[in-house]
Amino acid sequence: MSSAYKHPLPVRAEQALPLLELEAVRFMYSPHKKLINNLSFSVGNGEFIGLLGANGSGKSTILKLASGILKPSDGHIKLWDKPLQSYRNKDRAKLLCYLPQLLDINVPFRVRELVSMGLYPYDIPPQITADEAMEVVGLKEKAESYVTNLSGGERRRVFIAMTLLQGAGLLLLDEPLANLDIKYQIELLRLLRELKDEKNISIIMALHDINVAMQFEKVMLIKDGEIVGIGNPETVLTKHMLKEAFDVTIEINRSDTGSIYISYENNF
Amino acid sequence: MSKLKISILILAVVLIFPASLFLGPRIMSPFGMGDIEKEILFSIRFPRVVVALLMGMALGASGAILQGVLRNPLADPYILGISSGASLSAAVALLSGIYLFGRFTIPLAAFLGASAVSVLVGVFGWRRGGLWPERLLLAGVGLSFLFHSALMLLMSISTDEGLRRTVLWIFGDLSMADWSLIPYGIVFVAAGLIISVSRSKALNALILGDEFAHSLGFSAHKERFMLFIAMALMTGASVSLGGTIGFIGLLVPHIMRFIVGADSRVLIPLSAIGGGAFLCLADLIGKSIMPPMEIPSGIITAIIGSPYFLYLLRRKDVLSI
Repeated sequence: MSSAYKHPLPVRAEQALPLLELEAVRFMYSPHKKLINNLSFSVGNGEFIGLLGANGSGKSTILKLASGILKPSDGHIKLWDKPLQSYRNKDRAKLLCYLPQLLDINVPFRVRELVSMGLYPYDIPPQITADEAMEVVGLKEKAESYVTNLSGGERRRVFIAMTLLQGAGLLLLDEPLANLDIKYQIELLRLLRELKDEKNISIIMALHDINVAMQFEKVMLIKDGEIVGIGNPETVLTKHMLKEAFDVTIEINRSDTGSIYISYENNF
Repeated sequence: MSKLKISILILAVVLIFPASLFLGPRIMSPFGMGDIEKEILFSIRFPRVVVALLMGMALGASGAILQGVLRNPLADPYILGISSGASLSAAVALLSGIYLFGRFTIPLAAFLGASAVSVLVGVFGWRRGGLWPERLLLAGVGLSFLFHSALMLLMSISTDEGLRRTVLWIFGDLSMADWSLIPYGIVFVAAGLIISVSRSKALNALILGDEFAHSLGFSAHKERFMLFIAMALMTGASVSLGGTIGFIGLLVPHIMRFIVGADSRVLIPLSAIGGGAFLCLADLIGKSIMPPMEIPSGIITAIIGSPYFLYLLRRKDVLSI
């Protein structure tokens, strides 16, 4: 993935107000099944947040609430200081993009067709083209291939390219590293970090790999729909907090050279 | 590449239209027609070709819409029970022999039956402020069985003449086509096509899933509702014009997907064009091979279309499912 990527959004001036703000958000499918309980956090311009938690902790639900797919049972969600639900669909789509975890597609779209769908919210296409977006994720040679004939990892990259083309300032990515080779995991993380640095894009990414979470500047640890800890990995990803979130003893060791070793042998 | 294929397809359609007019049990020359031939052309063949075209367009487009909306390659306008409802309603009129509205009785009965089932399927498929694909599909299958068995019951206790007419109608009978219904057909099919083509981007997004549709700036429930309405208008118009013709709604969209790809912006109009041309051709063959007997178009479409579909399925290195 190259850094030739030109993000279509004009970079907003530094603003004091948070980009996304959740305030005392609750969500439940039924009165007995609370999924999200009194969740409050905000995302600033250019923040890159890793959302870490066990299966069923509510990571996906949080991202769906933040993207407006689910409506909170209680509480407020604001995007650029305006209620999320007050945006027209097309306007919201230019500011905020959500990439689901499951990408099950059984219809033979071509790669180019699918990536180009990222332009649907726009009447006037932004500067970046589908070709550039495909080049960024290394799929330019496969532009005319059918998505149904690609491997799981290639499909994931097709959707990443679509997300990039959509050009929102806030990306909500549900386990985008799943099914990716380590090479593309690293390259995708590098690309997203470049976007954050150069274009001030904000990203929330659900994760399950503690090693990857250690690379983030900010981590949010979730358990049962509540925040266990939020901050830099050194303070959040401690043995004690990880025990609470995952119910497993996880040792984090730092060598003299600064490398991080994570071990959980003691549990076996 | 794709443009060439599309051009060939449109050319084929343009050729099928005059062929259906001038060929048939009695081959006519467009030059030097007698009065009888002019009469045959304008009162019998022309309306029949237009009806076949309209029905085929409605079914082809409806199939392309439904396979996307329901995210199911086996979906067609009839799987939702719309044909069984229309057949039951038309059969009641045919078997009772009471023609309250003259020649409009059967088409009106079929249209009302189709509309009633569309509404029922919508009611059963509705939950938490929207239509849900799985619910729609299951509700349709359930209703389809119900109406189908009612139809069978009705047919098993009916007279021979009524039974024959009902069976012919169910197979798709174009022999009664005249100009009287065509204006209504054009209005409904045009409305359905305009709605669905204007929503074809949303349909592409819905095929990826509701969450993608939302993220790309569409209201999944609203778009699905509009597309469902478009499908119901066209399917209702089609069954009332000439009965239930199978195959087109299910397989023409698949054949078109093999040829032009899955993008709904192209697929919906081309499934309409392909469906219309195919039904014209099937009707031409059905009335030409053993005159004066006519083979119902619904049978011809399946006999020609299924092998072609299976051939494409074997040959193409892409699954549309």
